[in-house]
Amino acid sequence: MAAQPVLEARGISKHYGGIVALDNVDLTLEEGEVLAVVGDNGAGKSTLIKALTGAIPRTSGTIRFDGKEAHIETPTDAKAAGIETVYQDLALVNEIPITQNVFLGREIVRDDWLGRLFGVLDFKKMDREIRDLFAKLDIRITDIYRDAQAFSGGQRQAVALSKTVMFGKRVAILDEPTAALGVRESQMAMDLVRSLKDHGLSVIMITHNMQHVLNYCDRVMVLRLGKLTAVRKVSDVDGDTLVGLITGTIEGDVRDE
Amino acid sequence: MSDTQNSSTAVSNPGATSRTFERITHEFMHIWQVIAALVLIYLVFFVLSPPFRSFDTMLSIFGQASILAVLACGTTVVLISGGLDLSVGSIFAVVGVSVGILLSEVDLPVWLAVLGGLGIGAGLGALNGIVQVATGVPAFIVTLGGLTAYKGLAEILASGRDLSRFPDAFQVIGSGYIVPMAIMFAAAILTGLFLTKTRLGIRAFAIGGNEDVARLAGVPVKRSRIYYYMVGGALAALAAIMEVAKLNFAMPARGQSYELFAIAAVVIGGTSLFGGRGGVGKTLIGMLIMQTITVGLSYMGVGTSYQRIAIGIIIIVAVYWDVWRRSTR
Ligand SMILES: Nc1ncnc2c1ncn2[C@@H]1O[C@H](COP(=O)(O)OP(=O)(O)O)[C@@H](O)[C@H]1O
Ligand SMILES: [Mg+2]
Repeated sequence: MAAQPVLEARGISKHYGGIVALDNVDLTLEEGEVLAVVGDNGAGKSTLIKALTGAIPRTSGTIRFDGKEAHIETPTDAKAAGIETVYQDLALVNEIPITQNVFLGREIVRDDWLGRLFGVLDFKKMDREIRDLFAKLDIRITDIYRDAQAFSGGQRQAVALSKTVMFGKRVAILDEPTAALGVRESQMAMDLVRSLKDHGLSVIMITHNMQHVLNYCDRVMVLRLGKLTAVRKVSDVDGDTLVGLITGTIEGDVRDE
Repeated sequence: MSDTQNSSTAVSNPGATSRTFERITHEFMHIWQVIAALVLIYLVFFVLSPPFRSFDTMLSIFGQASILAVLACGTTVVLISGGLDLSVGSIFAVVGVSVGILLSEVDLPVWLAVLGGLGIGAGLGALNGIVQVATGVPAFIVTLGGLTAYKGLAEILASGRDLSRFPDAFQVIGSGYIVPMAIMFAAAILTGLFLTKTRLGIRAFAIGGNEDVARLAGVPVKRSRIYYYMVGGALAALAAIMEVAKLNFAMPARGQSYELFAIAAVVIGGTSLFGGRGGVGKTLIGMLIMQTITVGLSYMGVGTSYQRIAIGIIIIVAVYWDVWRRSTR
């Protein structure tokens, strides 16, 4: 019997009116693994992680964290549990500096009466922590006071990923971290994903890149039309099989009970 | 402004500059074009109109700007957060009348009447925010409703009352140029510190920039929005108190269209109508631009109706500039 899973979701469904975006999906994340979620466009991947992290209300489903029932109804609940998420297209605010983006929602106030009474911020401390973090992760951004929109896609993704190291205590969830990145930038982002593991995080990663699944992940789950159709160890599959499962030319084997 | 900023960003600077230095240059890049516009407009009137050239004229520009500038500081906060408050002119009227009643009928001490007025302003602002976040009705509609509803409230409160001849200690607040200017700068500095140094303040930029990202990052967006409307209402109240003190009477008709002048000054200054960017320094300059034009035109014998047309055109140009900046970003 292996150690108990970090995260165990059962019967997650999400309906938009009559549309079933996600139908009774189970997900298990083992301690220290990188779990890939693959599927065609519209398969329900983003919906799954949003439902999992409280970004949208679930129609049904339960979540267990560290073996115990967890009440994750809002993004703040997920963060409190130690789950840090990089949402697709919703990772950074363009109009504000990198510094403010990293600490958004978790700004550090001064440890004096100004901080307690008026919420005056401790910029020095936040700046120092960001520089340390970027140094640790080998992210080469020095002009941390510039607005996020001034940076390339790769740099922005690096900043978003760094937040999971800064704040994610247990789990990092990444929605297409290499979408819209060039080859070199994708490589950089994936190196960061790998280092998340070294920082003690278990990772769920949505991706369209089969090479990334095969090279960086331990297990892979396949969604198709809102349903979970297959879960495989990466060591047991090849790219062609995965593509077959995604498109439906290969029959899946996960059945509703 | 951001186009100049971007060109210098293309190459990331290798040396880590200090925060303060970066902030100051950054602000300056944003603001210099508006300052240049102000200086240019001032010089045009300086050349065209001999009576405009006196120091007194300059003082009166500041003096006339001060009340609206205080109100516009609040508008700046609300617009940065991606909100809109069309009702501040009516909040202004309610507070003016209320403070009049508190002073001349309830006989409250001046400081208490002032505090009461600020509280009423903050409360009415909060109500705008609460209705919005509770119902999801857009800010434009909710505060348009507030504009007429609060106006009605001011009329009801004032009816049958003679609200004038206030204590000297109160009149000081609005007398001459120096005190109103001092209040304007104090309000601007405090609002600026709020926006740049406090947690709630800097979150206004995040919420105005991308509300969804802010929410997913754990920012309590709805609660914060209510606070921004409160700040806007409180500053409208302060402006109303200044005006009542200056005129030495209170009337529900005051404050009419002030929300539009405030929005105009904010936008002329370069704060985005679409949220996420801006600052009170810009708003002060925007307000000075508007007042310089108004005062300058009247020195040249141009009537108020034509002044309004001029301001209207300038608002459209300023917003066009904002839209253009966004599209070329
Ligand atoms: N807010 C919404 N309203 C209605 N339908 C939605 C909404 N969000 C997603 N969907 C639908 O749910 C399905 C899954 O979407 P999504 O999870 O974004 O897919 P993926 O991330 O796998 O590409 C799609 O059919 C999409 O159209
Ligand atoms: Mg998606």
